[in-house]
Amino acid sequence: MSKSIKERAEYLEDKSIEVRCTILDMIHKANSGHPGGSLSAADIMTALHFDLANTRPEEPRWADRDRIVLSKGHACPVIYACLAMRGYFPMEELNHLREFEHMLQGHPIHKTPGIEQTTGSLGHGLSIGLGIALEGKMTGKDFYTYVILGDGEINEGQVWEAAMAASKFKCDNLVAIVDRNNLQMDGTADEVMPMGDIAAKWRSFGFETFEMDGHDMVDILTTLEKAKLVKGKPIAIVADTVKGKGVSYMENVCGWHGKCPSDDEYTCALQEIKGEA
Amino acid sequence: MTLTKASKPTRQAFSQQMVEYANENKDFAVFEADIGGSTYTNLFNAAHPDRYFQMGIAEGNMVTAASGMAADGRPVLVSSYGVFLTMRALESVRTFVCYPNLNVKFLSSHGGVTAAIDGVTHQATEDLGNITTLPNMKALVPADTQAAMAMPQLAMETPGPVFVRLMRDPLFDIYGEDEEFVIGGSKVVREGTDVTIVSYGDILFQAIEAAEALAEKGISAEVLDFYSVKPWDEAALMASLDKTGCLVVAENHQKRNGLGYELSNFLLRNRPVPFDNLGLDDTFAESGDYSKVIEKYGMSASHIITSCESVIAKKEG
Repeated sequence: MSKSIKERAEYLEDKSIEVRCTILDMIHKANSGHPGGSLSAADIMTALHFDLANTRPEEPRWADRDRIVLSKGHACPVIYACLAMRGYFPMEELNHLREFEHMLQGHPIHKTPGIEQTTGSLGHGLSIGLGIALEGKMTGKDFYTYVILGDGEINEGQVWEAAMAASKFKCDNLVAIVDRNNLQMDGTADEVMPMGDIAAKWRSFGFETFEMDGHDMVDILTTLEKAKLVKGKPIAIVADTVKGKGVSYMENVCGWHGKCPSDDEYTCALQEIKGEA
Repeated sequence: MTLTKASKPTRQAFSQQMVEYANENKDFAVFEADIGGSTYTNLFNAAHPDRYFQMGIAEGNMVTAASGMAADGRPVLVSSYGVFLTMRALESVRTFVCYPNLNVKFLSSHGGVTAAIDGVTHQATEDLGNITTLPNMKALVPADTQAAMAMPQLAMETPGPVFVRLMRDPLFDIYGEDEEFVIGGSKVVREGTDVTIVSYGDILFQAIEAAEALAEKGISAEVLDFYSVKPWDEAALMASLDKTGCLVVAENHQKRNGLGYELSNFLLRNRPVPFDNLGLDDTFAESGDYSKVIEKYGMSASHIITSCESVIAKKEG
């Protein structure tokens, strides 16, 4: 018998603790990286990699797989953690994030197992997802492509070029998930570039939209399953998240966008995530 | 060397042949940015609509989306004018096509000032410099109809990104149907012993005209068609310089970062010879008749003649 939503959510909640600890471990070892946006996307990425997406870690480019494109590539510790935990490459690689002559680059690249395409220059991921979705339409395959975007990233005009085209081609196999943590590098999203009603913008570009709590596994599972029922138009999900989620001193603090925790901060963060603080 | 007036521009010859090639090769897709009537990719749309994607006036999205479709190996040809592909979409070309070395091919029309009448906004005079600086990229410039017809197959059968620069207007035909074109190849279109002229694309015909005028003055010029701008034919260059000992590079491009800069850099390190190069000299051109524009901006046969005489004098001095 298949598991209930509640059982699946509980499993994912445990996994997300492991993912968050792994993120902090990688960044602490590398002494460099982006913890804030990795943690805000951690629950969504955990749900995709450990439940929703149909993938084969032993065959990363299996033709029928669902595709996960992390457009906000600076948050790569979260996808590296998920991929290693799923077995795409050895966990040992995580000890060498951003290290010279090692696999895990500072931003994701095409040749890393489980990474669909190079990302990190913001505003390109939805275009990549569009191309993949058109490939699916052209070849008659029924896989889904999930693109995770930052709410700051959607300042980039090319996101909206891709949105226009996805709508034109009726890409109901393309799901854009906006990680709305409300913080950018230089300040709040509203200070840097007010985007107004983000869901309304996607709707006006022809998307079916949903909003969800990006840290509530039941909500994530339910919303993404509803998204797959949409036909004839692409889907955008605006996920309310907290930058730095799970570590009290990082939550909603702009300064933790691209900063590495000290030894004491790292220890404290792990305790908080594991509920030991 | 017989020059006959071409019946069609290279952009048309390329796209017509691409449709033929696609009849037998069902794997590749074509992305267009709303100038399919000008690049002639609308012919592909008519023949293979299931593989043709009209992406609108949004070149950056078009190129990155092509990289997404190509991520598992499918070849995708993207089509636009050179100014837009190599500038507006340059980051997409660099980071999402060249870096992962994907099978994206570029139909890049209106190369150099061959779009002279349209003005500077549509003249791709920095395209080859921008594009050849990118690792993994290959660049081809067919001069005539037969060369352009060879390019779709050559681009598609060469792994990784390939850029093909095409022209707006018909010029001349020089090659027969049996000519073969390869990556890294070149053609000796006229043999000579006193000076080597390297050119490609439309300016090749200026070089041929210059060589004929020089012959009347008793000067024997060798003319090489470097249709493969990257990689270029080192062996052919060295073999020609063995005979002539001096070089003029003439191209429809900014001199800075053009093929002339590339070859002079190579020769300084390997074989210094009297050298000159012709192209736009750190300036923009302007609207107008093509022949008047290349004359004013230093790329016509008369300039090539002067340059050849100058390098020969240095050799003898």
